[in-house]
Amino acid sequence: MHAGAGGRRDAGLTRPWGTITAFLLPALTIYVAFTAYPAFRTIWNSFHRVLPRREEAVGLANYTELVGDEIFWRSVRNTIAWACTSPLIEVSIALLLALALYARIPGARFFRVAWFTPVLMSYVVVGILWLWIYNFDWGPLNVALRALGLGGWTKAWLGDPHTALPSLIFVTSWMWVGFNMVVLLAALHSLPKEVIEAAELDNCGWGAKLVFVIFPLIRATLLNLIVLSFIGKMKIFDLVWITTKGNPLWATETVSTYVYKRAFEWTTFDLGYPSTIAAVWFVIVLSAVLILTWVFRLREKLEY
Amino acid sequence: MRRTCLSTAIAAALLTVTGSGLSRAQQIKELTFWSHWAAEMPKRTFVEEAIKQFEAKNPGIRLKQTWYEKTALYAGLKTALRAGQAPDIFYAEPDQVEYMENGFLLDLSDLNWGAVEPWAKEAWSYKGKPYGLPLEAWTVELYYNKKTMADLGLTVPENLQLSPEAFLDMIKKARGKGITPMALGVGDRPYPGAHVVHEALLKKLGVEDYDKLLKGKVAWSDPRVVDTLKWVRGLIEVGMLPNTFTTLKLAEAHIYFHTNPGALTFLNGSWYTSRAFNPPDKGGQPKDFPLGIMKFPAVPGAVCNECRSIAVGGSYVANAETKHAKEVLAFLNSFLSFEMGNRWLDVVQVQTGIKSDPAKLTGPQAADYFKMIAHTNAGAKYYFGIPIQVLNGKPKEVFIQVMNNAFPAGTISVDDAIKQMAAAY
Amino acid sequence: MPALKRALLLIVLCFYTAFAAGPFVWAAMMSLRTTTEIHRNHFAPPVPAHWDKFAEAWFNSNYGLYFVNSTQIVVSAVVILTIIGSMAAHCLARYRFRLNRIIYFVLFSTIIFPPQITIISLFQILVQYGLYNSKIGLTFVYVAIQLPLTIYILESFFARIPSDLFDAARIDGYSDWEIFWRVSLPIALPAVSTTIILNFILLWNEFLYAVVLITEEANRTLPLGIQRFIGDTQEDVGMIATGLMIAIIPVVVVYAFFSERLIQGMTAGAVK
Repeated sequence: MHAGAGGRRDAGLTRPWGTITAFLLPALTIYVAFTAYPAFRTIWNSFHRVLPRREEAVGLANYTELVGDEIFWRSVRNTIAWACTSPLIEVSIALLLALALYARIPGARFFRVAWFTPVLMSYVVVGILWLWIYNFDWGPLNVALRALGLGGWTKAWLGDPHTALPSLIFVTSWMWVGFNMVVLLAALHSLPKEVIEAAELDNCGWGAKLVFVIFPLIRATLLNLIVLSFIGKMKIFDLVWITTKGNPLWATETVSTYVYKRAFEWTTFDLGYPSTIAAVWFVIVLSAVLILTWVFRLREKLEY
Repeated sequence: MRRTCLSTAIAAALLTVTGSGLSRAQQIKELTFWSHWAAEMPKRTFVEEAIKQFEAKNPGIRLKQTWYEKTALYAGLKTALRAGQAPDIFYAEPDQVEYMENGFLLDLSDLNWGAVEPWAKEAWSYKGKPYGLPLEAWTVELYYNKKTMADLGLTVPENLQLSPEAFLDMIKKARGKGITPMALGVGDRPYPGAHVVHEALLKKLGVEDYDKLLKGKVAWSDPRVVDTLKWVRGLIEVGMLPNTFTTLKLAEAHIYFHTNPGALTFLNGSWYTSRAFNPPDKGGQPKDFPLGIMKFPAVPGAVCNECRSIAVGGSYVANAETKHAKEVLAFLNSFLSFEMGNRWLDVVQVQTGIKSDPAKLTGPQAADYFKMIAHTNAGAKYYFGIPIQVLNGKPKEVFIQVMNNAFPAGTISVDDAIKQMAAAY
Repeated sequence: MPALKRALLLIVLCFYTAFAAGPFVWAAMMSLRTTTEIHRNHFAPPVPAHWDKFAEAWFNSNYGLYFVNSTQIVVSAVVILTIIGSMAAHCLARYRFRLNRIIYFVLFSTIIFPPQITIISLFQILVQYGLYNSKIGLTFVYVAIQLPLTIYILESFFARIPSDLFDAARIDGYSDWEIFWRVSLPIALPAVSTTIILNFILLWNEFLYAVVLITEEANRTLPLGIQRFIGDTQEDVGMIATGLMIAIIPVVVVYAFFSERLIQGMTAGAVK
């Protein structure tokens, strides 16, 4: 019966409901009042037209309108594209950097701090900085291109529908590589030394060591990071709002910016339709995350 | 004994002081006032002085002013109105029908409408009642740099309207010398890019059919529309607009035209003056800038080359839930007089919805400028409102993205643009 | 690793460092120059350095006000989060009752929730209760949005504490509250400080909820305040850069002090 280290719950205790309630009540009250209830109310809203002075039940009318809403589907495509590409870029570059630090190069401590600074900045700060960087006339990017004689490659990066979204994806990658790198580095450091040394003894080249030894060991961490990044990008709002607000031509429109616009910037005051968007998007995000975790976990089961 | 006498005396004194303070406080009514134009000094000065004058004539009323930039103002109002925290008087433009549809605005029928131009009153009418005070009115003008024009060896004809061929030639010549033919930017506004398109369409179709087009009764695939868009496309392809068009902000576009790097022309509302006539270090045009104004060029095959848009711009509206309706109406009424109208013309140098007469202006700069405006507006046939004031909901949103942004930027073809517009209705 | 390879790697890494930290350094340089100087040459070093710009930004451009608002809201939210979060986590980790796992799962799953599902209704609710545009309203919302993550991190830590300690404490006659306060919390201090830092950073930089729920100038937080300056007028690049620095510096300071602990805490969650 004695659980020793890691024993979870006090087995012999009859449930002291008074204490339990006392401990849980504050957190649950805030949760219910500011998360659970609003979520349900949003779903309720989605079946109504919610105007400032009255609400009319409209059944599935909002949902039908949503199905035909080109802008919504465009924003879904944009957001999902973002959530699929950015994590891959971030995690792969982070892995390379973590490996470099793991290989114990001089100045590791300094590098780690320097690479982490983008994570500390608010999206607002990042947005403004990159607005300046992408500035056509004096932004460092175009200035550097012109200095290298590649003047023909200069563009209005955030003004051209073809380059706007990739430019923003680039920014989020820039921002989150540091975070992923730090986590991966810790994962690398926690690997059992014997395995690595054994691989070295076997005269494995760097490539083989990476693919066959290190990779499988940190797989779990990599996948966790990808899922985390995916979820984060599905929610993205701040960066787009500061830089392009969804323009040009909805190239950077994400679901969150579209919801905000329909709720607070459209020419009606109706909150029902944006609630519909939120409800549908919620289902999409949940499904995507479930699919992802199912896919990753399934593979793990197959290996062992 | 003395102590109690003293304390009673003090208490009595305090009571009288606070008592009178209270009654004075009760007498002063404070109206909250939110407005755009935080950085447009002529307009802001005009309104601030009007407020001061009003407060002097009405000692029991004070206005608490907050000045905003337009985007911040609109964002704040949208939520404040919903939350019941909106100010008593605020700035609005006639395209914001959602305010009237949701009953947020006070009915202004009791104002002195005899002092207002009928078409300006019409712009703010909803279900037969007026809801806004049309302070600012403006036309779309084609400003140009006289010196640059002369340097290129070009002349503007007597009637101030270039033929399509001459206009195209002008653009080519300017580009040839590395000068941007027309400064224009849609970085932070939903209408400047569309000026090229809607002025051209208005001339080609004439007032009635243009109106029908905007309201969805004439198809965007109509051959006249297609021809016009093709013509505009031709101008874009020769490089009429700056390459920073999509990200250039409104204030920056002004500076692009008159200071750095300098463009040949600038298609802007006649309220150009409210930014350009600021001192140069506050974003204004350089002293002695050779400003000229001409008409929008003639459009090939146009039915009405003298047609042009006139729009009501910045106006003031009142909160339907204000607790000081009488005072609010009195304040708004203080603007509705011939003297105020002319004073606006003098100080701000933009047209107004209030009845006024530019010919009676005394200040030299204003008089000259209005002579030029009068010249370009001579014999004009007006259409009231720019597209974003006429369109609503989805068509408006698509129009902003397509006709204001993507089409002038050259990123979509004529066919795509037409398809998107048609699908929006 | 052969020396040449090492040297090459180092060069690549240096380029990357310039890329990662460059924008920050550029902003720092611009924060000390006036806008006119900047427009003359965007990349020159700040010579002379106008330190008074920070004072000007603080007092004249309202950055001081925004900073104070942010501090009030974020510090209150983090304090409340730490207390009620650790209470809830302790309870879920140590007491066995039927609803335990359900409650835990429900709380945990809301980490995935996109903010849109709650934000519109939050707007309506806060308006209804007169908390719209108030710092208190925003504080409560901030607590709510960080609660799931806080409880998740703390619960796994609390659960790993050996029950011998609790048994011993119970035998010593400690009440439930004292067990929490005197046994659980002190041991879980690393995890608690991780959540404090994480919550601080995330809430200090939070923008979406703030932009929807606060519109009054007097209640603006720092991110909102900065956004206001990308206005219609000529962009006062110098002033904006100074404001950016004012926003970044507290977070950098917090990070510099606690970096080790923060990374330990974060990686503990993600690696396991």
